[in-house]
Parts: sequence; structure tokens; C-alpha cells
Amino acid sequence: MRDVIHLAGVYTKITAKSWFQYRVDAVLRSLAVFLRESTGVIVIYFTLLKFDDLNGWNTHELLFLYSLLFLTYGIMIIFFTGLRDFGNTVRSGNFDRFILRPRGLLFQLIFANADWFAAVGHGGLGLVLFLVSAGKVGVTWNLETAVYYLVAVAGGVLIQGAVFLFLATLNIYLFETRSLKELLYYNMRKFAGYPISIFHKAVQFIIIYIMPFAFVNYFPAQYLLRKEDMAGYPQAFLYLTPVVGIGMYLLAYLFWRYSVRYYKSSGN
Amino acid sequence: MVDFFNVRKFTLDGLSLHIPAGERVGLLGGPGCGKTTLLKLACGLLVPEDGSVQVLGMAPSDWRKDSQPVISAYFTGLPLLDRNDTVRQGFELVRCIYHIPKKKFWEEYRVLSKRLDFTAFEHEAVKELSLGQRVRAELSAVLAVRPRLLLLDEPNAGLDENGKAALCEILSERGRRGLTVVTASSDMVGIAKLCTRFALLKDGKAAFYGSGERLRSQFVPVDEMTIVFGGELPDFGDLPVVRYKIEGNRLTLFYNSNHVTAAEILKRVLTQTEVLEVKVQKPTLESMV
Repeated sequence: MRDVIHLAGVYTKITAKSWFQYRVDAVLRSLAVFLRESTGVIVIYFTLLKFDDLNGWNTHELLFLYSLLFLTYGIMIIFFTGLRDFGNTVRSGNFDRFILRPRGLLFQLIFANADWFAAVGHGGLGLVLFLVSAGKVGVTWNLETAVYYLVAVAGGVLIQGAVFLFLATLNIYLFETRSLKELLYYNMRKFAGYPISIFHKAVQFIIIYIMPFAFVNYFPAQYLLRKEDMAGYPQAFLYLTPVVGIGMYLLAYLFWRYSVRYYKSSGN
Repeated sequence: MVDFFNVRKFTLDGLSLHIPAGERVGLLGGPGCGKTTLLKLACGLLVPEDGSVQVLGMAPSDWRKDSQPVISAYFTGLPLLDRNDTVRQGFELVRCIYHIPKKKFWEEYRVLSKRLDFTAFEHEAVKELSLGQRVRAELSAVLAVRPRLLLLDEPNAGLDENGKAALCEILSERGRRGLTVVTASSDMVGIAKLCTRFALLKDGKAAFYGSGERLRSQFVPVDEMTIVFGGELPDFGDLPVVRYKIEGNRLTLFYNSNHVTAAEILKRVLTQTEVLEVKVQKPTLESMV
């Protein structure tokens, strides 16, 4: 176990070193990610200049909702870059190298790479939005709310990690899953930037039960903010984020374990 | 060390091959005959559809759970060092992954990096290296873990003459100390000399498996004899010669050593003319493979 932690440390040190080898480049690229993702926030901001609120949510509350999405993604991508880029890893032959080495495949995929630019860009935006909004949304921050918040973030990280693990596993059967990831993950995330109560029932269904972004930010935010539109959903959803996270991750992990036996290296 | 029994996979069809420990086996055969497939089966990257592949009595993939590196494999196109890491960092990772004590590993690294001549760029990122530089570093990475079975797929690709020579030297030294090597290379310069056995793959099976000497007598048994004669041109019409060449008083005969010996030819020629000089040449392994 100590040896595993040591190896994880060596991996992390080396990847961080190579990502930040050129400092100006690192800062600019992280900034680029930050600005790209900020456009969504800016759209919300200008929309709210025209309307006072969105189904009862004011500007700061919306920014708070948004911050959870990016904070969890920023943390998640530190661990799951290897799964996000799994298709490339397979095509470039790097996955064959992992297979040849006497270590767990998932362990190597998780620790051998981390997209630090995405982590800093997304996580940074999440942090900025949180700092801007947290004091102005009427949440009393005490031990209970803080613990709830941290557990919710951890659950959100697991939910998204499970989706990435699932999509990576599909790569073993299908040659290319990039467009599926665009559709299922990145496009659905755009919806999750808003209170889901404003959408058609079908969209709500997808975002709660199929690609459950609602448990990443909407329901945790509801626990803390208690908006009126929560009346449309079961109260239990406020507490389910960690359960959904662990459950999804477990399922994705079993699917991975089952599928990886069928991975085929090419003959040449 | 390695046992293939009735293996079927891709182009391989009913291949059986037994490689004893300490042998250095060169795989021969045209492109697409299954050399790389054979190597990938031996390290567990591929699993046979039918038949069995065993390394020291176990499935190759089971050896991965062993902390002692048993099998080490090099394939062109399979990056052994991460392209973003420097060479040194890549080796540090290899060391940690295989739990090799620092002192032992870096001593080994120092020797290999010197002999394969890549100390000059050990602090550069792997992606900045030229093909030849990368190949040198990656070959050292498979050697540095001190495996018992080494699988090499096209180790010569990208190496210059110095590199090929250095690699050969290292491999024959390690071979003498008991390392088993299986290698497939379309460029057999040097490697042929190093092999104790050859396996020729054809139609999914080992069409030939044995020593270089046997390979020659079976497939290219044509020797070459050059005679510089003093008198008139001798008559050798009834000798089973494959082909001959005459340049002035220099006669070159090509003959199948299974059908006629050098002594027989010489005896015939000597009865007819004066011989000033004789040279007999067997085809080199390299020219053959």
C-alpha cells in the first residue's frame, strides 16, 4: 500500500513537472480554458440583466449553481484525464505498455496522466464563482453546511468520473466514442448550468436519471439554498449525491473489469 | 522458457515452438507471417484463439503479478517512455513500477546509457528526441529491468551502425549469462550472428526451427569457390555446379554443398591444370536471412 502511494506520488510529480515545464505557456493555456468556460457564465450574467430572476434564482444563486459544476470537474480531471483520453491512449499504443507492466490498469490510467491545464482552468473558474457567490446567497456556513458541501463535491466528482470511466470502457467495443462524449457529457453539462426546473420534463428526466448532472450541482445547491422550485422533486434527492456517485462509480468499475478482458491489441 | 503449442491467432495456424532457457532465437519470414503476433502472444498482449502459450509453465500475463520482472518486451510503435517525460523521469518511473532498488538500477542505467550512448540527452523530453535517440533509450529501458525473457520486435529499426553493434554486444553478453532472447527483425545485421537458433514462419507454422548451420544447408546450401589457375581452362562439365563465372584466369564456381564437396571439385581441377590460389566461401548468415 505504501508502495502504491509512493508510486502515485512519483507519477503526480512527474506529470505536474512536465505540464508546467514552460511557465508562461502553462499560465496562458490554463487562462484560455478559464476564459472559454467563462463564456457560459457571461451569457447567464447578461440574461439576468434583462430578467430579474430565473424561476426564482437570482444572479448570485445561479453563479453558485455554476460553481459546483466547475469545481467538481476541475478536481475530477486531475484523476480522470487518462480516461477522458482513453481512445488516444489505446491508439498510440500507450495502453499496451500499461498492460505489460506489473501494475493495475486503472491505477496507471488514473495516475499516469493529469490534464493540469483543464484542472486549473475549470477548478479556478469554479473557485472564483464560489468566492463571488458564497457570501451572497444566504447560506450560513457552519460545520454542517461545510461538511455537506464537501461531501457533495466528492459525490459530484465520482458521478462525472463514473461517466468518463463508462465512456472509456465503451472504447474497448467501439473504435471512436468522442462524439458520444460530446453529446452525452459536454452538451448535457450546458443544461446543468441552469436550474433544471426551467426545462421540459424530458430534459429534466435525462439530467436526473440518465446523465445525472442534477446530483452534481442542482440538488446540492437546493439543499443549501432551499428555492421554491424544489417542491417538484422528492426531498430525498437532496441527500442522494454521494449515493449516486458511489453507485455509479461501482457500476462503471464493474463494467470496466468485465470489458477489459476483451481488449485486443492489434496484430501489428 | 517459452512454449507454443498448436497456437492459432491471426495468421498463425497450428504453430508449435519450444524455446529453451538461454537460447537466442531469431524469427524469420516475410512481412505478415506472424512474427509480431508471436512476440505479442509471448508477452501476453495477445491471447491465442486456440492452443496455448506458456512462459516457464504459466500464462505470460500471470507473470505480470510477479514483482520480479520476468518478461520484458520491446515493440516498435509501442512507446515505453511517456513522450512528455524526460528520459531520466521515464526511467525513474520504470524503477518504481518494478520495485528495483535505487543503487542497482541506476548503476545498470549508467552502464547502458553509456554503451548505447544517450547520456547527452537524458534530461530532454522524450518527444523532443529523434527516432534513433528514442530507440536507444527505450531499448535500455527494457534491458534495465533485467528480465529473464527479452522479446524484441524490430530492435534495429532507427539504430545506426554503432547502435546496432552496441546492442548486439550487450545482448550476446546477457545471453551468455542466461538471458533468453526472441527477436524479429527485417534488418538482421549483427542480430543473425547473435542468434543460437532461427525459426522461419511460413503459412502460420514454423517451417524451419534450428541452428544457423542447419538453416544454411537446408535453404541456401550454395557455396562459392574461386580458383586462380595457371594453365588452361579446366573442364568441369560433369560436375553438378549451379553456375560459374570466368574472368581471365579467375574461375568462380557456385555449387550446392549437399551435392558436391569442395574437395571433389578441387581434385578434378588439379588433374587438369595448375592452381595458383583457392578460396572457398560459405554464404554468411546475414546475406541469407
